[in-house]
Amino acid sequence: MKTRALGRAISTAILVVVFCFGLLAGGITNYSYATQFRELPNAAPSSAHILGTDGLGRDLFARLAYGTRVSLLLAPAAAFLSTLIGGILGSFAGLVGGWCERAILAAGDLSMALPLLFVLLALRALLPLDISPALSVVATFALLGLLGWHSSLRVVWAASRNLRNSDFLQLARATGCTRWKIIRYHILPNLRPVLMAQFWISIPAFVLTEATLSMLGLGVMEPLPSWGNLLRGLEDFSAVGSNQWSLSPLILLVLVVICFQLALPAQEEFA
Amino acid sequence: MKEALFKIGARLTMLLVLTLIAGLLSATFVRFSPGYGVDERELDPRLSRASVEAVRSSRRIESGLLAYYGNYLLRALHGDFGKSQWLDRPVGSLICERLPVTSRSVLGGLLTAWLAALVVSFAAMFFRGFLFDFSTTAGSGLLIALPTGVVAMLAVYMRAPAFLASSVVIFPRLFRYLRNLLEHAYTQPHILAARTRGISNARIVFRHVAPLVSPALFALFGVSLSMAFGAAIPIEALSDSPGVGQLAWQAALNRDLPLIVNLTLLVTLFTVTVNSAAGVAPEIAQ
Repeated sequence: MKTRALGRAISTAILVVVFCFGLLAGGITNYSYATQFRELPNAAPSSAHILGTDGLGRDLFARLAYGTRVSLLLAPAAAFLSTLIGGILGSFAGLVGGWCERAILAAGDLSMALPLLFVLLALRALLPLDISPALSVVATFALLGLLGWHSSLRVVWAASRNLRNSDFLQLARATGCTRWKIIRYHILPNLRPVLMAQFWISIPAFVLTEATLSMLGLGVMEPLPSWGNLLRGLEDFSAVGSNQWSLSPLILLVLVVICFQLALPAQEEFA
Repeated sequence: MKEALFKIGARLTMLLVLTLIAGLLSATFVRFSPGYGVDERELDPRLSRASVEAVRSSRRIESGLLAYYGNYLLRALHGDFGKSQWLDRPVGSLICERLPVTSRSVLGGLLTAWLAALVVSFAAMFFRGFLFDFSTTAGSGLLIALPTGVVAMLAVYMRAPAFLASSVVIFPRLFRYLRNLLEHAYTQPHILAARTRGISNARIVFRHVAPLVSPALFALFGVSLSMAFGAAIPIEALSDSPGVGQLAWQAALNRDLPLIVNLTLLVTLFTVTVNSAAGVAPEIAQ
């Protein structure tokens, strides 16, 4: 038990450090993520470029810091969106019941059976070719958020269904509490732990999906960096051989996802 | 029996409704895609104005969405899913050409992942210990943390077959779920009683554990199939394997909407059908 608590504390500390690294990217590095040093493509690490440069002569450390900001700030945004949709639909299904409940659950089951990457590719292909990098980031994470709601649905539905016939809710109804008051003071506080657990569990899943999409060239567009974009550099094995530091985005991504797994077991078990 | 038949009927009805809705969505996407209804021949300077008008009017027949949807469904029923804008070839023949490659990698990946997950999960039940638990949890945790694209790239570097990459993606998710499922099953009173009476492990597995976990396993098989199809895209794209996943990726990069939308529709219908079958399979078995 002590080992688990220690592991959780270390994981949380690492996550905080990585989040700060992304948030303070502008202060940590002197270079912009897009600045090119054309005389230094694929340069080895030096005092000027801590992790070296990529094939286009851009500072890898700066790109890693800004990429961390993009991946770690927008993945929670997508997780928030998906949890919100799953939360609204799940609680509605659980509290209202009847055909509405059956329809929402059927839609959730259906959504779960969809091959997500195929649907993402199809929707991403609908966007124009000349989309700006900033818009590509928003579109990628918005799509992830809009399509990832099914994972929260069942859990929130189960929690809401238990609430539907609870004594305190019946008492609140009998004493004439308005619908808004019931939601605000009775339902939301009881659903909050479940929603929080779903939110935290979704973040690493979205980080990984964004990485795969960006590796395929259909996620965040260049020159804006993200962890997925940076992983595309691994396709050139000779460059990886000459500068092992180009593996740092992969190491950071794996570390963050593992830390999320270790930091959240209690909530996951609860959910 | 009546209940099982009702469930099968409900699933089939849902599948039909889904097919119609998905067909409408696909048709809408294709109908309103950029460049729809524009024929390259209109730009040919050798054609007379009358010829250009004839080309335009031949396209105008399907200009209304509902008319387009009707024609789309009729054609789809005959196996005609339109033409790829990028490759200028029928979508049906492109899929038929590439499906065997994807089927082999998906089925091979599923089989390997399921075998490995079942073996390791049962081993975790029989050989409980800190070292085994720690190594399997750490190993599966590390594999889950790897993006599918990175697994595909590692497979390319190691010259491993595509199905192996697919199984590496599916295995850790299956293993975690299976281990939890078996742990739960082994805490059931009747299984605890069977163990205390000294009944052999094999008998406990086949007579007591298997009937208990089989409905969840059927459902898990359906979900793992969706996972395998999803993993096929980055694996085939990055390892240059000429399957349906690579075709979907290339279609998305080339903004070939008729191809990507029809491909998604067909793969979705297939996975949803398998999921529905997995859902009713335990009732049929009973």
